[in-house]
Amino acid sequence: MSDSSSGKAQSAFQSLSSIITSIPPSQSPAFSLLHDLRIASQISTLLRQPDSGAGDNNLCRWLYDSFQSTDPDLQLVVLRFLPIIAGVYLSRVTLRKPLAGFEAVLLALYAHETTSRAGQSITINIPDLSHPSVYHESKTLTKTNATDLNLAVISPSLEPHGTVRSTRRARIVGVALELYYSKISQMPIGSKVDFCEFCEGWAGLDKDSEGCKGLTKEKLNNEGAISLPWELLQPVLRILGHCLLGPTKNKELYKAASAACRSLHARALHDINPNAILATGSLVRLGKMALDSDKETDYTEIPKTNVISL
Amino acid sequence: MIIYGNIQEARALLGRLEYQRGNVEGALRVFDGIDLQAAIQRLQPALSDKPSRKGRIRSDSQNTVSQHAASLVLEAIYLKAKSLQNLGRLTEAANECRSVLDAVETIFQQGIPDVQVDSRLQETVSQAVELLPELWKQAGCNQEAISAYRRALLSQWNLDNDCCARIQKAFAVFLLHSGVEAGPPSLGSQIDGSFVPKNNLEEAILLLMILMRKYFLGKINWDPSVMEHLTFALSLCSKTSIVAKQLEEMMPGVYLRSDHWNALALCYSGVGENSTALNLLRKSLHKHEQPDDLMALLLAAKICSEDSHLAAEGVGYANSAISNAKGKNEHLKGVGLRMLGLCLGKQAKISSSDYERSRLQSEALKSLEAAFSYERNNLEIIFDLGVQYAEQRNLNAALRHAKQFIDATGGSLLKGWRLLALVLSAQQRFSEAEVVTDAALDETTKWEQGSMLRLKAKLKLAQSLPIDAIETYRYLLALVQAQKKSFSPDISVSQVDDDKVDEFEVWHGLANLYSKLLHWKDVELCLGKAKELKQYSAEMLHTEGVVCQGRGNMHEALSGYINALLLDPSYVPSKILIAAVLSKVASKALPVARGLLSDALRIEPTNTMAWFHLGVIHRDDGRLADAADCFQAAAMLEESDPIESFSSLL
Repeated sequence: MSDSSSGKAQSAFQSLSSIITSIPPSQSPAFSLLHDLRIASQISTLLRQPDSGAGDNNLCRWLYDSFQSTDPDLQLVVLRFLPIIAGVYLSRVTLRKPLAGFEAVLLALYAHETTSRAGQSITINIPDLSHPSVYHESKTLTKTNATDLNLAVISPSLEPHGTVRSTRRARIVGVALELYYSKISQMPIGSKVDFCEFCEGWAGLDKDSEGCKGLTKEKLNNEGAISLPWELLQPVLRILGHCLLGPTKNKELYKAASAACRSLHARALHDINPNAILATGSLVRLGKMALDSDKETDYTEIPKTNVISL
Repeated sequence: MIIYGNIQEARALLGRLEYQRGNVEGALRVFDGIDLQAAIQRLQPALSDKPSRKGRIRSDSQNTVSQHAASLVLEAIYLKAKSLQNLGRLTEAANECRSVLDAVETIFQQGIPDVQVDSRLQETVSQAVELLPELWKQAGCNQEAISAYRRALLSQWNLDNDCCARIQKAFAVFLLHSGVEAGPPSLGSQIDGSFVPKNNLEEAILLLMILMRKYFLGKINWDPSVMEHLTFALSLCSKTSIVAKQLEEMMPGVYLRSDHWNALALCYSGVGENSTALNLLRKSLHKHEQPDDLMALLLAAKICSEDSHLAAEGVGYANSAISNAKGKNEHLKGVGLRMLGLCLGKQAKISSSDYERSRLQSEALKSLEAAFSYERNNLEIIFDLGVQYAEQRNLNAALRHAKQFIDATGGSLLKGWRLLALVLSAQQRFSEAEVVTDAALDETTKWEQGSMLRLKAKLKLAQSLPIDAIETYRYLLALVQAQKKSFSPDISVSQVDDDKVDEFEVWHGLANLYSKLLHWKDVELCLGKAKELKQYSAEMLHTEGVVCQGRGNMHEALSGYINALLLDPSYVPSKILIAAVLSKVASKALPVARGLLSDALRIEPTNTMAWFHLGVIHRDDGRLADAADCFQAAAMLEESDPIESFSSLL
């Protein structure tokens, strides 16, 4: 970590102490801001307060400034709280509450992504196995180089936005989530669990559609339901895929992620959205398979025996 | 008889024994006592001898001994890695494991030959290749894991099919879900002309497709998770047509037949090929298959609800879905009711009698209201109700739902704004409708504003402000120009098409505007521009007819209208104007004209112009009471005519 970087982290750490009540002393401020559970829980509580997203909110200002500091470590800290910011924000937009503070942070993330991509769309080529690749050979003669390029747009091109127009809201939050996903391997578990819990709320269905009976209508109709266009749902599903099937195994995260996947699958059925039904259905089934995978044979093990074989 | 002249090899054996007994710490102590690097070096010359043809026979027996010794030593290092893994010392374990692979690479510089390799040595090598990325992964060293995976898959280790497939799958899963961007493989591994994946998603999809192909060729066993990962990856890219291709190659018996059809239906519907999807669903919903499958019933009903000629079939699926939404699926009952409402509403459009139509319409409303009582947070139902009420000209109810929809979505969906503006225009509250379009324009970015601006121009004209309307179109044309500059004609544009300003619609809309102002020259100019973009369209031929009629050229006008009908046999405006022209030209043609108007009213029962011209014909034929009825209908409808048809919302 460079001097200026740790200096920025130090001053951010200091200014945070005027916002949250108790801040433990730390040798490495950037690390504490990202990983210290006491700091995280205080910030989380503040972000969930009924009046948290207003334009004059101290914490939102702090998050905005921290992100604009361009210090990568501080930017990670801001992303760590994106699940709560996006979650609270999207659940509140219909309540006509002042949300300029949240919007400033989200727009900063959106602008960062727009700049780093130069506004370009992200596309991939769907491979065609009749052409050889680094991983396989193909006997058929290659025709011309550019035959049948099967291009898929993962994320369309980005326009700069100075304000959150309501028809662009889902896209702006979606792009912020794309940024979160690109750093997700550095995010603490708690942040991911927050995200999964909000997903469940966004789906807007009863807590567990598997075998819940006798719930009253009021309870069934969770207030968190939001519209989930593909531009928002797609990055959500990528993040959930990581939470459910990523390399770090964590029971709490697995539980939260599988609950979120089940809820979103039920929601996809409610919307009769084929793409979402396929993607969430696969996640739900893969989640179940991951549970059984512990019983699989470990091929890297040698047979256990007491007999010497030469 | 092999003699272990070397004490280190004896230790290796002892360590293995301890490990097999489960005494990991003991094994590690034994392994620690061996200088494995020295052992490897001692082995090198023996094995790395270039296999000269002459010397082979002589060195064969010695080779076997060396290979055996080599396998013992390499296995010892491998088991040391395993012991360290068991003790949670993952980075050390990974380094030991890597040294196995390094050693193998120095010993066999040309790659491991298929033949003449001791099977135990090969086993150790394969295990080490498979273990290394796992160790890095467990140690949290993602970049090292990626290199280890690539090393495993891109170098020659003589792995068997199953082992290679396991590594390929593990790597694909890692690429898909680790959230660590791997970057493209190094240049060294690239062969001229072969496909090199440039990011995680591409590489993962490539590996999963290769695994599917291996399974199709019978080289590996079926692993259901491979297909699930591939489905997930491809649906993220909205390329479900490729999932369908994979499913179609699948041997019968892997999936239950009806599940297979349902999955295919989802894939095809996902890329908009709904008629193929419906055919598949008809198969899977056959009474001998799984007629009660809720997902299939709902998807079938949804597809049918989009086409009035399929709506009756959809009603059946929806009813079946409602009665099957029981137990843990009870939460889908509201969805079934919503589909029932949509199908009934669509069916009402082609019903042959007024009685039938109003029955279907009221049932449609009842179903949608019932659906809403089940799912109060399903925003789409609020919108559906708004449209349904609007089409039935219950404008107050429609207005209530339109406002509620905008509130509930926070104004994020353009169709909500359009519904509100159209309902207000139907109530002849044009200036308020304009306020709504302005608010909507504030909430959209410029490329999405096309349809809203055209609506605004129509509202201006309705308020007798033609200059303002033309001004709005001028702005639209500027947008079209700007759009042409900022979107180069690359392939990705077609995927965001619905976001863009449609140039054809702009020119054609302007032509219509001028034709209302009787500026025939300008109309022709605009039509010429529109024609460059779309040569044949019913709307345009119709407008050409209007120009001819405006200039008093009845025959050409008539042929314009007829041509429009030839392109689109259900194009209502042409039907009405043909009838109007015919009834003026010849009294003998009155029955034909009447027939055309009845036909028009069957398609659009609330078309004011159709009722008006029908009235004229009745009057000319002397049926004054009928004429009065028609005129009254026209007058009443005019008071609730939206500026654009409500069905344009769907």
